[in-house]
Amino acid sequence: MTFPLDKIPTPKDERWKYSNLPRVLKKLDLKPAKLGWASNVALLEPTAPGDAQYKDTHLWNLNTAHVSDVQFISGDAEIDVAAQDGQWLSPRIVIDVKDNQTVTIVERQSGQSSYWKNTVVQVRIGNNATLRHYRLNDEAAGGVSTIFTHVRIGRDSTYESFSLIEGAGFVRNQTHAEIQGENGHCWLNGVNLLKGEQHADTTITIEHQQPNGTSKQTFKSVLDGKSHCVFQGKVHVHQIAQKTDGYQLSNALILSPTAEMDTKPELEIYADDVKCSHGATTGRLDDAPLFYMRARGIPEEEARSLLIEAFCGQAIEGVSDEGMQDIVRGKVSQWLTSRI
Amino acid sequence: MIEIKQLKAEIDGKEILKGLDLTIEPGKVHAIMGPNGSGKSTLSYVLAGREDYDVTGGDITMNGESIMEMAPEMRAAKGVFLAFQYPVEIPGVQMTTFMKTAVNAVRKARGQSELDAIDFLKLMKGKCRELGISDDMMKRAVNVGFSGGEKKRNEVLQMAMLEPTFAVLDETDSGLDIDALKIVADGVNKMRGGDRSFLVITHYQRLLDYIKPDVVHVMANGKIIKTGGPELAHELEAKGYADIVGAAA
Repeated sequence: MTFPLDKIPTPKDERWKYSNLPRVLKKLDLKPAKLGWASNVALLEPTAPGDAQYKDTHLWNLNTAHVSDVQFISGDAEIDVAAQDGQWLSPRIVIDVKDNQTVTIVERQSGQSSYWKNTVVQVRIGNNATLRHYRLNDEAAGGVSTIFTHVRIGRDSTYESFSLIEGAGFVRNQTHAEIQGENGHCWLNGVNLLKGEQHADTTITIEHQQPNGTSKQTFKSVLDGKSHCVFQGKVHVHQIAQKTDGYQLSNALILSPTAEMDTKPELEIYADDVKCSHGATTGRLDDAPLFYMRARGIPEEEARSLLIEAFCGQAIEGVSDEGMQDIVRGKVSQWLTSRI
Repeated sequence: MIEIKQLKAEIDGKEILKGLDLTIEPGKVHAIMGPNGSGKSTLSYVLAGREDYDVTGGDITMNGESIMEMAPEMRAAKGVFLAFQYPVEIPGVQMTTFMKTAVNAVRKARGQSELDAIDFLKLMKGKCRELGISDDMMKRAVNVGFSGGEKKRNEVLQMAMLEPTFAVLDETDSGLDIDALKIVADGVNKMRGGDRSFLVITHYQRLLDYIKPDVVHVMANGKIIKTGGPELAHELEAKGYADIVGAAA
């Protein structure tokens, strides 16, 4: 079937400059399909929430129009979003964390051969509550996965997310978080491990709408082959949001001369008593530690692997669930072994 | 037996080592002293196999086998150890992980069985105790936040763990106060003996009061220009480099 290509953002849209979705979709021959979840569509918010200026919501609307599967979650859960060959899926996950609750959700995104998953994840966190949202992306080389996560964070509440991309065809991992209550916290961490011709795009908007909030973004990307990674992170501090503490870090490690990293950090600040910083680096492995390790007898590839694991470690430390930390470390180490 | 013959090396097109000859017998401690810029550190890096240097001539052999074409890790397996003048910080890599990976890589290359976690910890704790190093250091990232003294002690610990046959100490005394210097020298002295050879590179005679050399060489302008006994170090200390370097030139 042909997709409604006129409703799909193109690189002419500012937030899609580095990721050409129509180009990859044109190559696919897919049919609308279902995962087999419920489809209680009536309860959904039909239009994307948030400020009009961030309504980069083509894909949200497309998901609403074609929604295939719906899942409502309010407690600890593991969700598998696994596509089969030839499927066009539009899954919708709604996560509602009630006041005073702590919830951990593990979301596994995967698929076989060629497909398009256009997932929307809608999160609402009440007051004095915590959501730990861990997303593990292991997509097929011919798979397209676009995920739009919208998060509303209440008073004294925390959204902690971690995203691991260890396999991708074309991945767009987009998050829009609104800190709507005082003393709300939004902590986003991620590790992208790319090789071959994989493409992964992490696009984030965090809106501080109330005082005393913190946001932290720590992303580590390791690029091999001809892979292409994008990091766009925006922090918007509204005028009322005094005493905001915003921090953003994107480090990319390039292992191959043909890999490409595009980084676009943005700060938009309207309050006058805030602390915001961002750092972005793209580079290759340092020679000095490599030589030091080799001089101690550690073979070059093993030394590289240790250094890359250490590089990713800073983002993984942001995962407060230790079991999940171990899982992620294991996956990073597996990925490195498979490289050698 | 370590033999360095007519060694020439350059970096960025600039020749630093200009035909250096040096033979170190098994079990001996040789010292190289020399003014800044004489090529001492280049020699240590070239011995360890650092790839930034272009070796343009000569040979380095250990017991008759050339190590010139060997990668740094291969040289380490053969028994070369370089104690760095500036030990490198490696954030995120824990000392224990680093040390265990190194010890097992070297054991494997030497045809020995790899150590499991328990045997490794036993070995490491034993060496730490011998050298007066707290276990706590092993839980930290490699050299990160270490004081100057801790870094140098860490080099000695690594040397003790890897049991080299040829250890090169590059300006091990730099940045150390006298107490730290004694601890480091004690560690080195404990490892003397048998067939293990040392090359101690230093600018000052001070270190050689604690690590007594069998032979002292003076290096200038990329070559050894004078060789003598321990008294040569004292002579240098008294007269300075200018006399000797000037006389040779």
